[in-house]
Amino acid sequence: MVQSYDVLVIGGGIIGLSCGYYLTKQGKRVVVLESGGFADGASGACDDMILFQSKKPGINLELAFESLELYKSLVGELEDSLGFANYGGMVLIENERELEVMEEFVMQQRSYGLDVEILTKAAMRKKQPFLHERFIASTYSSMDSQAYPFAVMHRFARKGRQMGMQVVHKSPVVGIQKDGAGDFLVTTAQNMQYRAPHVVNAAGAWAGKVADLIGLNVPMEPRRGQIIITEKIPAIGETNLWSAKYLVTKLKPGIQIDSTEEEKRLGLAFALTRTEGDSYLIGSTREFVGYDKRTTMEGIRAIINQAVSFIPVLKDVNFIRAIAGLRPATPDGKMVLGEHAGVPGFFTAAGHEGDGISLAPITGKLLADMVCEGRSDARLEELSPNRFASNAKEVC
Amino acid sequence: MADDKDFFICRCEEVTLREIEEVIDEGYHTIDDVKRITRAGMGLCQGRSCGKVIARIISQKTGKPLEEVLQTSYRFPVRTEKLKALEEEGPSDAENN
Ligand SMILES: Cc1cc2nc3c(=O)[nH]c(=O)nc-3n(C[C@H](O)[C@H](O)[C@H](O)COP(=O)(O)OP(=O)(O)OC[C@H]3O[C@@H](n4cnc5c(N)ncnc54)[C@H](O)[C@@H]3O)c2cc1C
Ligand code: FES
Repeated sequence: MVQSYDVLVIGGGIIGLSCGYYLTKQGKRVVVLESGGFADGASGACDDMILFQSKKPGINLELAFESLELYKSLVGELEDSLGFANYGGMVLIENERELEVMEEFVMQQRSYGLDVEILTKAAMRKKQPFLHERFIASTYSSMDSQAYPFAVMHRFARKGRQMGMQVVHKSPVVGIQKDGAGDFLVTTAQNMQYRAPHVVNAAGAWAGKVADLIGLNVPMEPRRGQIIITEKIPAIGETNLWSAKYLVTKLKPGIQIDSTEEEKRLGLAFALTRTEGDSYLIGSTREFVGYDKRTTMEGIRAIINQAVSFIPVLKDVNFIRAIAGLRPATPDGKMVLGEHAGVPGFFTAAGHEGDGISLAPITGKLLADMVCEGRSDARLEELSPNRFASNAKEVC
Repeated sequence: MADDKDFFICRCEEVTLREIEEVIDEGYHTIDDVKRITRAGMGLCQGRSCGKVIARIISQKTGKPLEEVLQTSYRFPVRTEKLKALEEEGPSDAENN
């Protein structure tokens, strides 16, 4: 039997559910098809930060501002706190070279409207008394926030359902065709078929495989991230933290930063965030290892060594589990959002890499506007999937 | 009104029977789904105390056989470890200062 809808969303991670929610809100009949269960993808194995400081001025930072505003209104709309909090964030600086790069970066971000500053060592230690002595300064932004991904996803699904959206688990999409009438016919592994004039590919790290089912090219690589979770402990500082080292290597690839071979191989960067449940999430790695989403002893050890070297008191804290997720990474570090020129009616919304939680609400909203009103503002052109159409080979 | 559904099934995370049943009624029928939504099973004991009970509740409410409910990916009860313990075991050539 074939079931008909207005829009089929493939992938039930935070991005797919956000798209589904905003489309349903605009009156569309939507089904979200998810190959696993609730939060089986990256959205169920990640940190919870709505970060501004990590973003280069440009479209990502601009959209993050808009997403933050949406989060604030979603707290009322979805009738849940969503674990939304505004602890602020600090980037820890170890030496003069890092300081120089971060000073320049902070200036750029300020001119873009981000409220961020450099703190002296004393001011930094006041907010983070347990930090290792070696840090010489830090940045601070009061805007960095967080949201609990599980709550956001659950509430998108619940509110969406109340308005008629359907979410079907254990339904991997294995085939996509276009029929004579111009509708898409999507087949799942259980041989269920769904028909609709619009399809949204929100399959995260798997978005390339889904696009391939209809002959489209979406270059997407899974970038594994491992994190560890501590037992509940009292707060050890005021804000969330991460290290300048990674940002600096990203901003100024030419700069010599002392990293061990292991750090480089694992793409290790320090990130610490306090969760809803009063435990800490400590991360993380950035590894290209295909679709393997297991944690590794090497990864866990490296994260622990790093954590204790940043905040020595953590050595007496228990960690209760480790998780890993696959960030969806594009060659140019920007998400893919828009309609494919080659196949009208087929949209992709994926490739948020380390920013999918931050950017979920704005992605869903913009996607819904594109599908419902057939419009897309010019500034979104640089996110269009057509930048990867075969003749426009991307250099990265 | 407090009734017999307001007791904790998961003591580590303080999740009640009522909360768990609500999520099952919404259509989430696996241990992982219930765990991710309610946090039941995510606490210090990693579901060792509450996991089976949650499986039984799901089985009773959905009519699915218990064995089927228990068949879950259930990735990570790792033994609780002090960060220090692993650090000491770690490779001695680590160059972090
Ligand atoms: C360690 C780590 C830390 C992170 N920290 C942060 C952070 O602090 N802040 C932040 O903003 N972001 C963070 N991220 C990034 C964030 O997790 C991702 O960007 C986001 O979850 C991507 O969401 P998604 O819905 O696109 O992908 P996913 O959640 O992976 O969802 C895609 C879904 O598609 C499904 N699927 C795949 N193929 C098919 C198919 N054929 N048919 C049907 N369904 C299919 C999958 O099962 C999956 O559930 C982090 C990621 C990691 C790994
Ligand atoms: S009782 Fe549920 S995690 Fe311990």
